[in-house]
Amino acid sequence: MADVEFELTVDGTTSAVEAGFSESLLTVLRDRLGVRGPKVGCAHGRCGACAVSVTVPGEDAHVLCACLVPAAIVAGCAVSTIASINGPDGELSDVQEAFLAEGAVQCGICTAGFVTAATELLDTNPDPTREEIEGALYGNLCRCTGYGRIVAAVEAAAAGRREATS
Amino acid sequence: MLLAAPRFALPETLGEAITALADRPDATVVAGGTEVMPDLLWRTRRAEGFVSLRRVRELRGVTTTDDELVVAAGTPVAALIHVEHRALAAAATSLGTPLVRTEATIGGNVMSALPYRNLLPALLAADAALELTGPGGTRTVPFDGFVTAPGVTAIGPGELLTALRLPRHRGFADYAKVGRRNAQFVATASVAAVAAAGRVRLAFGNAGPTPVRSDAVDAVATALLDGTATPEELRAAVDAAVDPPTDPVASAEYRRHALGVLAVRLVVRAQVDAGLGS
Repeated sequence: MADVEFELTVDGTTSAVEAGFSESLLTVLRDRLGVRGPKVGCAHGRCGACAVSVTVPGEDAHVLCACLVPAAIVAGCAVSTIASINGPDGELSDVQEAFLAEGAVQCGICTAGFVTAATELLDTNPDPTREEIEGALYGNLCRCTGYGRIVAAVEAAAAGRREATS
Repeated sequence: MLLAAPRFALPETLGEAITALADRPDATVVAGGTEVMPDLLWRTRRAEGFVSLRRVRELRGVTTTDDELVVAAGTPVAALIHVEHRALAAAATSLGTPLVRTEATIGGNVMSALPYRNLLPALLAADAALELTGPGGTRTVPFDGFVTAPGVTAIGPGELLTALRLPRHRGFADYAKVGRRNAQFVATASVAAVAAAGRVRLAFGNAGPTPVRSDAVDAVATALLDGTATPEELRAAVDAAVDPPTDPVASAEYRRHALGVLAVRLVVRAQVDAGLGS
């Protein structure tokens, strides 16, 4: 049932999309474009497993829940998923390496969302306090780790960035 | 118009938005989608189409005049966290999560008009006015009385909420809510307070079918601020003014108690802010 046709640029690749008027960005990414980095968790904006970064023309890029956004309202916009968070040769980013090193991953369904939110935090605030980290990750739920290792991973990534620039 | 289809419109200007809505009278107006999308998922709402205000630039942003704070209706909640009015800022800070606040809008929160929405008591305590724009032009109405029943407002057919105008306020103002847990909760009951020139104005959320305020409550709250009334007297005044619902979340009795406690809490904070309290 295609009500609308538009273009989306996802991780640098522009695709034509046909979708229902109320189809979410998450559904379009996963089911129409085969982009499986963003995960379906709660599907109503509580868990953050579907977090992606969207750049609307004229606005700064910001992270949002792809499940809450009707895809057609970001027609013509650029979407960055977890697949865009890596080094130039495809190696893991510093945040991803820190998640591995600190044991911040168990089942993994929340990880793409946490890394996306944590990367946005460190890109805008390279020296966050623990409270700022917890605040930035408040919209991401993890049912495995108890969050301690995740916060430690973000602190380690932040420390790594400070060392690299000092 | 960025996109136009029989069941979808993505206008770029307010004029295009009003025309798009006139052409699609059955369509649901969406801004960020953060309320409508879960409603569709849970099938608590049907939609025949969307007119989205998300890409209308003139509906985003906060400006100030000498005596007013003017918030365009499509301004995301995230942009309100550091706004000059502390009651609005506090209510915005405890709304949803960072990933929701980037897309949820102040206008969407008002038009949702459900008793537990965070921003409603803050806007009522702030004595906000609303700018409504339709094919016939723009009119300004007080927020007090705009919500007529849960989820229902006095907006006219073909009209859009375009801006919220708050009297500028740099002094004490705050918002407090209680819920079933300490994370990501909607308000079981909520209170906003604005103190100006020694007077306190309170407003209550989930205290009745629509946002509640009362001159009698404000008189006792002001007396409590001055030290000429007791917390017990304020709780009694709140109890007399509110008519909260009983639902699966909480009983009316619980809400009555919580509303009184929150009201006293905010007035005590106002006392501390004024250097009067302990």
